[in-house]
Amino acid sequence: MKRPFQLNTHISAKYNQELEALKHSVLTMGGLLEQQMVNTLIAIEEKLPNLAERVSLNDAKIDGMEQQVEQECMRIIATRNPAASDLRLVMTVAKAANDLERIGDDIVRINRLVQSKGMPDSDFLLAGLLDIGNRIVSMMRGTLDAFARQDEKAAIIAHKQDSDIDRVYKKLLEQTAEEIKSNPEEIYMWMDVLWTVRSFERIGDRCKNICEYVFFLNSGTNRKKISMKKNLKRLLKNG
Amino acid sequence: MFKLFEREVIAVDELSLNQTGIDVRELSVEFDGKRVLNEINIRIPKHKITALIGQSGCGKTTLLSSFNRMNELNRRHKTTGEVWIDERNIYNKRENLAALRSRVGMVFQRPNPFPMSIYENVCFGLKIKGETSRRVLDDAVENALDQAALWEEVRDRLFDSALTLSGGQQQRLMIARALALSPEILLLDEPTSALDPLTTLHIEELISQLKKTCTIVIVTHNMQQAARVSDYAAFLHQGDLIEFADSDVLFTLPAKQQTEDYITGRYG
Repeated sequence: MKRPFQLNTHISAKYNQELEALKHSVLTMGGLLEQQMVNTLIAIEEKLPNLAERVSLNDAKIDGMEQQVEQECMRIIATRNPAASDLRLVMTVAKAANDLERIGDDIVRINRLVQSKGMPDSDFLLAGLLDIGNRIVSMMRGTLDAFARQDEKAAIIAHKQDSDIDRVYKKLLEQTAEEIKSNPEEIYMWMDVLWTVRSFERIGDRCKNICEYVFFLNSGTNRKKISMKKNLKRLLKNG
Repeated sequence: MFKLFEREVIAVDELSLNQTGIDVRELSVEFDGKRVLNEINIRIPKHKITALIGQSGCGKTTLLSSFNRMNELNRRHKTTGEVWIDERNIYNKRENLAALRSRVGMVFQRPNPFPMSIYENVCFGLKIKGETSRRVLDDAVENALDQAALWEEVRDRLFDSALTLSGGQQQRLMIARALALSPEILLLDEPTSALDPLTTLHIEELISQLKKTCTIVIVTHNMQQAARVSDYAAFLHQGDLIEFADSDVLFTLPAKQQTEDYITGRYG
């Protein structure tokens, strides 16, 4: 059954506000992370360790937000006993907040490379990191937009962006492996690069999770059971 | 241990006749020419707890009362359709109502003990049925009180007035009174609405124990209680059966928008 999700129709106006605020909290966290990611890319491009440090320090704010969201979810479950779509929203928000917090951690890991001043001076690396980074920013934007509007089509489009990110990730891995082969004495420096590239790729996966939650939120079906390809076909068929 | 990955629930449309405790077919009930139930078809599963939920006046109690023909106490009622219990339509002209009501016990919202001793209250039905043997009555009283989780509390004062018991104890006494007749089906009409939360939990625990021997139908306004205790749940609205499914599905992923609106508190 297709369930148009309505937040503002409960008899209790306060409950409406609570659920609205809960959903909004994910978007606030997402917005902050998007800004963190953009700053990270600036720090990488312009080699600004100070900016990277500031981004890392900002992560505490995101950790705090995740804790608050978790507490609010628990409070709503305890006091409101949500059922059906309301329960799905609460569970989804808790899971999305967890994914967003992990994205924050990955961003910190990326910034460590800039802060360490051990970043190799390589054109392909800089171009590759900026490429994958920009794709991540675009995917994050798409994901949050899909979540905000609970738009399944937008979720699929954002979800599909992950395959491009994986492609760039693989290319970067291969190039890094080549570098290690040709300069074995710099292996430790390049291993840091590998971790950084891996963190970018993990952010893509986390965004993918959030896109899948949009489906769970709307239809209640187990997101893992449905392939995104099938969903896309179904949506195209229904116009 | 509760087996999380090995739970099996039979879907309501896959229930066979053997697994059905009450089979309701095209049941309609009118009071004073006003239709209260509208062609209800439902199969209540045997040895399971089925909850009836819905707004006040939606026909829950009427449906419950039609399972032991209590509606007929109201003279201006008209019932059409069939209710099959044990391969017999109870709406036949020859049905022995006293026998039916001893097989289908009922407990009401407010405990209504007779102004007699606890013992007399429990064996009242058996005495009416003609049982006189003291030993049989003693055993039945002990069994029923034990099943209703009241024996330990009242064993030393069986001959005190039932009115001296607390609300929760009185309600358990009512359940014992119904159980003394070894009913196949137990109908509970908001049995805990007048009780405190802890006593409610005692009664709920008792209900889940009783399903081993009885088919239980419970009417409740407390959604969490319905979700907690029932195996299956039916949602009624203005005399229509909107949805009937196993409780896990009904409270997490209802098929009908009306059900979803009701359980999430959206009905205005």
